[in-house]
Amino acid sequence: MNLAIILVTASILALGVILRLAVTQSLQVRRRSRLAVSVQPIDLEAFRNLSNPAEDGYLRRRLPAGEFRSVRRARLRAMAAYVQVASSNASALVRAGEAALASGDVRVAEAAQQLVSDALLLRRNSTIALARIYLALAWPNSDFAAVRVVDRYEQLSGTAMLLGRLQNPAVPVRIAAH
Amino acid sequence: MVQAHSPLWHYLSVAPRVLLAVLAFAMWRRGLRRQFPAFFSYTIFETVGGAAIYAVYMSPSVSSATYWWSYLSFLAIEVFIKFVVIGEVFTNLFRAYPSIGRLAKSLITAAGIVLVFAGSLIAAYASPGSFWFVSATRILGRSVSVVQCGLILFLFLLAARFHLTWSRPVLGIALGLGVMASVYVAYWALLADWLLGTKSYKLDFLVMSTYHLCVLIWCYYLLVPHKSAITSAAALPENNLAAWNRELERLLQP
Repeated sequence: MNLAIILVTASILALGVILRLAVTQSLQVRRRSRLAVSVQPIDLEAFRNLSNPAEDGYLRRRLPAGEFRSVRRARLRAMAAYVQVASSNASALVRAGEAALASGDVRVAEAAQQLVSDALLLRRNSTIALARIYLALAWPNSDFAAVRVVDRYEQLSGTAMLLGRLQNPAVPVRIAAH
Repeated sequence: MVQAHSPLWHYLSVAPRVLLAVLAFAMWRRGLRRQFPAFFSYTIFETVGGAAIYAVYMSPSVSSATYWWSYLSFLAIEVFIKFVVIGEVFTNLFRAYPSIGRLAKSLITAAGIVLVFAGSLIAAYASPGSFWFVSATRILGRSVSVVQCGLILFLFLLAARFHLTWSRPVLGIALGLGVMASVYVAYWALLADWLLGTKSYKLDFLVMSTYHLCVLIWCYYLLVPHKSAITSAAALPENNLAAWNRELERLLQP
């Protein structure tokens, strides 16, 4: 009796989730042509600083154990926020890349394919990194590095830039010091 | 109206098979059978096998034991084909995304192992009735539905997590399978525990209507052409690109 109730409840939930995701997917496909890509800038240097093991080592040596755990947790929460933004940007770029895949221009299509591939890798890495950050929040003394996320984000930025250039050749992409 | 052997019951038994036969023919004509060979086989099997089961059920000369054996055999083959169709959906979905293909394969394998374990546990805690082949059918149906529903749900969640784009036919096949699997979980769960007794035939109408709906979903997604989206590529925001570029340039400096 209990098992039947559990399974019926689970099946109703599963049905709801499947229908919702399928409808969302259908709407996304329809709206893709009107997509406005919204990506948030990320301070990579600040993120590098947060994920630098040497910084953690320094703090570990200088601070009392209790205070270190508190600071470390705050740093990990900040890291999680950065990774979530990077992941969200990657999602926007997947959609933008897929929209650009429809382009008749072979170079744009190739750049879009590369962008989608890189964005998905970043999305994968950020998922894993978030899992590790949340684990590290439980054990603040454990070692953690998110260098691969940073590397992937850099690569993704380069690909997005290339796609932007190919799509808007008239608009020069300026390289300036920050 | 909602009685066994009522006109509605006959309609729900026959109409989905006729529609599946039409779908199979249309898939063959449009070359979709090469793209979705497992789903094409499924439509053929459901058409022929479903018609055979219906004929066995309606034939007065066939004993109930023979009917249940036939139905159990049909269910076993159907389960196998459905798993192959789920595999086909997975392959089609991730073919365009090789960068996460390996991760997706590992995750779906892990999910499959967990679901098979859960299905085995559910089967182990079943309460058998007096007719063992009826119980076996219901217990098999319940465990397998849990695994299939879980796999399809996992596919949808994985695709949503990575913001993957489903092609229209693949989305239709997955949606139909997902709706059917989740309704079957509830159906078999109630049947396997013999909760409804002699009133259980009323549930048949729910599951038969769901099956009919799923066949209509497949017909719609595979046969009705969709309006092509505007193919102009969306431009990326230049301001953000420049900001990334500045950041990148600063990071690349030694």
